[in-house]
Amino acid sequence: MSYKIPMGPYHPALEEPYKLDLICEGETVQDAKLHVGFNFRGMEKLAETRNYIQVVALMERVCGICSSIHTQTLCQAMEELTDAPPPPRAKYIRVIVAELERLHSHVLWAGIAAKLMGFKTMFMTSFELREKVMDILQAISGNRVNYSMNRIGGVNRDIEDPQAILRMVEALEKEMGRTIIPIFTTSSTARSRCAGIGVLTKEKALSLGVVGPVARASGVPQDIRRDAPYAAYSELNFDVPVVPDGDVTSRLLVRALEIMESCKIIRQALAQLPPGELYTGDEKTQFITGTSASRVEAPRGEVIYSVSWKEGGKTPSRLHVRTPTYANMPAIRAMVQGARLADTPLIQASIDPCYSCTDR
Amino acid sequence: MKVAMSGIDSISEKLGISDPWVEKRGVHWLETSANTVSIRELAQVMGDFHARLVTITAYQLPGEEGTLLEYYWDLGGKLMGFPFKLAANSIDSIYDICEAADWIEREIHEEYVVNFVGREYEPLLLREGDTPGVNLREETI
Repeated sequence: MSYKIPMGPYHPALEEPYKLDLICEGETVQDAKLHVGFNFRGMEKLAETRNYIQVVALMERVCGICSSIHTQTLCQAMEELTDAPPPPRAKYIRVIVAELERLHSHVLWAGIAAKLMGFKTMFMTSFELREKVMDILQAISGNRVNYSMNRIGGVNRDIEDPQAILRMVEALEKEMGRTIIPIFTTSSTARSRCAGIGVLTKEKALSLGVVGPVARASGVPQDIRRDAPYAAYSELNFDVPVVPDGDVTSRLLVRALEIMESCKIIRQALAQLPPGELYTGDEKTQFITGTSASRVEAPRGEVIYSVSWKEGGKTPSRLHVRTPTYANMPAIRAMVQGARLADTPLIQASIDPCYSCTDR
Repeated sequence: MKVAMSGIDSISEKLGISDPWVEKRGVHWLETSANTVSIRELAQVMGDFHARLVTITAYQLPGEEGTLLEYYWDLGGKLMGFPFKLAANSIDSIYDICEAADWIEREIHEEYVVNFVGREYEPLLLREGDTPGVNLREETI
């Protein structure tokens, strides 16, 4: 006999509201229906009422974890419409903040995953490290969540003492290399809880068009930083970790390896930080009529902004955002089919979902 | 700026379009696609080339002009755009050819009341129980 178990929208296993209706036969999940929209704020429509300064502040609030990524993508799109390319120093600062956000996101996710595994010590360790990442972001921007770093044509704040930031990053990297990485890559507790569950095959990943670590953990070698470089990524050396198995362990492994790659990118960017201006363009920004699209590799995968402006317009005539979780969410259905009911919280968490992003 | 690229050139060749790709602000456009190729043919060819559907952006055009859909595909890091101006706010669904289109079509149906022919809609994606069109269309039906 099959029966339906509702999970969410408010549930101890979910960090944000969404709902999974699980159709089960005994303890086995046969199918699932996903319900989102509990965080819907109508931000795309709201953006049409905001000027070019206000819209940056608005879209920074799409997500609380990758807030700077959203403004970076939006500013890159608007820079195409205003002919205000960022100067080299601003490009490097954008890379540093973006990679710190990736560290923040991945470490936060590691903590949540550890909690769902019942691995409380790891949860506490991850959140302690997350605080240190936020300390670095605070040292750079003065803020711990919405950093207000990006503006059209560059960045608002400089990294005045790169050596001090470098010392903080190196200490963090050492600590992560001692704790999170070995535990997540070799611990039998993590492996026994995650291996072989929530499998998303490469064929299914390609068919669903998933992005970011979810795609890379299913053997899809896709990363916008490398495939369509933006900011200063073309001047930096880094690897794109790809794992073929497609299970929760693979997603764990990909993110663990990406943490080390992000540290490598930040170290290089701080060492090569060029001198110069923080932004181009004068105070009066002029838009041309047209549409521009920009993509960035956010911690959870590719985010795309499409911005349309009419000449002389004070606000965007259309702003469309496709966030990574929006592309990855439908894959949860494929991942939980055939899974044990008890594994579903961990499986759904393994895509590192962000409903704030999804719902906008 | 007109560009020549071997990877995406073979796509236009397969579609039977001789016009060159036009690169405009980060997107390679094949502007003539809407007049010569149906969306289902396009989706099929994109699938053959293992291109990834990134998103579909909808625009409400002024007055009675209807809706414009811009389909974005990625092939090896190149973003390709295909505009389709809709007659009677209706276009064929590509969900059965390209699974990645499912949620995107549902959202556009919900935002702009665009009818994607050949598919059924589950309840609203973002505002379950509400009326289609209230999100982004200026006048709701």
